[in-house]
Order: sequence, then C-alpha cells, then structure tokens
Amino acid sequence: MRLKDVGKTYGDRTVLSHIDLEFEEGKITAVLGESGAGKTTLLNILSGMTSHDGTVEGRGTSSYLFQQAKLLPHLTVEQNLAFVLKKEDRGKISPMLERVGLRGKETRLPGTLSGGECQRVAIARAFLFPHDVLLMDEPFSSLDLALKRSLIELVVSLWKERHETIVFVTHDVHEAALLSHRAIVLKGGRMLGNFPVDGDLPRNFFEAHPVERSLVAALTEGIGESDEGADRAR
Amino acid sequence: MKKNILFSALALAILWLTWMLLYFLIGNDYVLPSFWETVAAMGRLFTDVSFWRAFGNTFLRTLEAFALAVVLGSLLAALACVSDGLRAFFAPIVSVLRTVPTMAIILLLLLWTSHAVAPVIVSLLVLFPAFYAAMLAALDEVRAEYGLVARAFRVSRGKKIFGLYFPLAAPSVLGQTGPILSMGLKITVSGEVLAQTYRSLGGMMQDAQLSLEIPRLLALTILVIVLGFVLEGLFALLGKLVVRWRA
Repeated sequence: MRLKDVGKTYGDRTVLSHIDLEFEEGKITAVLGESGAGKTTLLNILSGMTSHDGTVEGRGTSSYLFQQAKLLPHLTVEQNLAFVLKKEDRGKISPMLERVGLRGKETRLPGTLSGGECQRVAIARAFLFPHDVLLMDEPFSSLDLALKRSLIELVVSLWKERHETIVFVTHDVHEAALLSHRAIVLKGGRMLGNFPVDGDLPRNFFEAHPVERSLVAALTEGIGESDEGADRAR
Repeated sequence: MKKNILFSALALAILWLTWMLLYFLIGNDYVLPSFWETVAAMGRLFTDVSFWRAFGNTFLRTLEAFALAVVLGSLLAALACVSDGLRAFFAPIVSVLRTVPTMAIILLLLLWTSHAVAPVIVSLLVLFPAFYAAMLAALDEVRAEYGLVARAFRVSRGKKIFGLYFPLAAPSVLGQTGPILSMGLKITVSGEVLAQTYRSLGGMMQDAQLSLEIPRLLALTILVIVLGFVLEGLFALLGKLVVRWRA
C-alpha cells in the first residue's frame, strides 16, 4: 500500500499534510506521535473510512483493533466474533479462541470477562475478520504493564504465523520498537521520520532497542535520522 | 431502599390528610366526596362487570396506540439514525405532531372516524413523537459508541440496525417506555371522555359526571392513576432486568 501526497483538512484545520509513504507487505509499521499528531486520521484514511487529499494506491480490505475492546455487550464471546464474520468463516472461531487463550469462554458475555480477556477477544476478532491489512489504534495504551506485555507477545506470535501487513498507532516509543519493522514519526500532521527497526520479532520486552533514541529525538526535537520524511523535516 | 419506601408512604399519607382536611373545609359531597365514600365506590366498581369490560377496552386502545407508536417510532428513528437526510425530513413532522393540540384534533377525528377509534389516534399522535425522540436518542448514543465498529467491520445496514443498534438501545428505551405508556393511558382516557366512547373508562367517567356520581368519578380517576403507576413500575423493572442480564 502506498500513500502519495496524502493530506486531510477539517475546515481550516490541517490534520495531515504531504504524507508520502509505502507500507511493506507482511511487515509491521508503527505510526508514532503525540496526541493530535494525525495518527488515527492516518489509520482511518488507510481503512477508507475518511475522505482525504492525495492518493492511496493498493488499498485492500482492512480489519481493526481499537484502543478499547469495543465488544458488543449483548453478545457472547463467540457471537461477538460471528457477528463480523460470514457464515463460511465461522468455523475459524473455535481454533482462534483456543489460540488467544479463551477456550471455554465462548458463551461468556463481555461484562463477565476481565479487561485483558476482552482485549484478547478483540484481537481474535481483528485477526479473524478477512483483511489485507490490520490496523491497530493504540491497542495497548490503556493496559497495565504485565497485560501489555502478554498481549504484545500474543500479537507478535499471531503475526509470525501469518506474516500479515499491520499498521499500528502508538505514542509509546518502547511499544513501537518492540512490535515493528518500521516506525513512522508524525508531528502536527507532518511526517518527521521514517525509521527501520532492525531485528527479528519477538524482541525482548525488558531491553531498550537502539532505535528508541532516534524515535525520542524525532518526537521531542523534531529530528529525523533517515529516509525522505526526515529529509523533508530538515 | 427502606428510607425511600418510608418517604413514599409519607407523601401518600400527606395526600390523604389533605383530602380529609379539604373534605371537612368544603363540606360538600358534590364538590369533593369523602375518602371512604370513594373507597366504597371503588369497591362497587370492582364487582361491576361493565367496569372490567370498559377497563379492558381502554387498556386495549392504549396498547394499540402504544404498539403503533413503537413500530412507527422505531422504524423512523432507525431510518433517521442511519440517514442525516431522513433525520432532517422527519424533524419538522415530529415537531408539528408534538405541538398539535390534542383536544382540538380529537374533535376533528370524531368527524372523520368513530368514537372508538378517535382516542386511539389521538393517543398515537402524542405517543409517537415521544417514543421517536426516546428511540432516536438511544440509537444516537449506541452509534456514538459502536458506529465505528460497525463501519470498521463493514457490518451490513440491516445487521447494524437489528443486531447492534436496537438491542443496545433497548435498556435505555425500556426505561422511558413506562412513562410513555402511562401518558398514553391518560391521553386515551381523555380522548374517550371527549368522544364519549361507549364501554370505556373515559365514557364511564363522563356518565358519572353527568349523573353527579362524584365518588364513582373520583374512584375511576384514582384507578387510572394507579394503573399508570403500575405500568411505569413494570417497565422500569423490565429495564432493570435487561440491564442486569447484560451485566
């Protein structure tokens, strides 16, 4: 998927401008930025839910993982997954629930699950829904550290099985370094940096990745180290 | 909870004392009959077959108007929720219906329809805007919370309305249904009084007033109030049960 000079304005307010970017197939891209940087707008453009300037080439179908699980409270775990699937895909529900560690909780309502279990159902839903790209909007930001770690490990292990294209939005530098092959830094709607993140997945949760220093510099000082986005910022 | 029951009992006791006091002050049974006389009239009503027939007819008329308001209100609110154009189209119509003077319209309805049908229509005209507003507000709330989920997973419009919006809006709407139905009962009875509907609570009230059977008139009024309370209570309980079942 490739973005060419993509921008978005709401009235007089520019939320995104001149974004040129290519998302590598089968890789995970982190979109990093502070609140109001245009991260979620970028995701919504990728999903086709928001109109925009410029062009998006090769946009396929997308699936979504939200910050909150956003499960339907009147449906059981199994029904929540079935709700977004076609009949022919519903056979995949049971293996996926087993995969995300929710076997035996098929008939539970979301109100009876813990926050972590709800997010696991949401992860299952996002991976099960047929898609070319999986979009994740700060999926770990409201979780405690232990839960965050276990869910990041779950997403990485699911990615390793499938090698899907994932774009995820975060404001956490460590999270971006843990879970991506490339990190984009947005600030004020402009792309400040486009950093490759070396090393195979999964990465050590307890170690800082060398790219984190560059990401922090880009976020706080507006200094990018690589690629065209950084050049533009300079 | 016990404290609330105590306060409610206190309010009822004050109402009863006010009645007793006013009765002694006025001293005219044709203006305000005694409490005990009214209770006796109520007892006589309970053993009167014509009362139960009238009660059944009035209740059915209220339910007819309510059912029509629910179907129409739900349908139009759902359409308004998914289409801004339709929302704008319905807005002035609903506003006009909300401000229509019901007592004036019933006189016209009596010319166009029968004495039995006019109260149903006038009740519907009052209930529909109320139910539409309650349903639309509940649907808007659900849309704000789950609209993005439906869009992200490309849920079809029908599935979105019937599988997502209506079930999630139900507890909030049920909470408001009791007062709406209770209001419907009062409007139906008012309509029956004006239309002098045969075999109805409103018709019985009109007869009691014409024959100066004031205790009977008051007893009928109290029964309508009590029925309204019961309906409100039943729906409030239903709403709570749905919320508890979801939790």
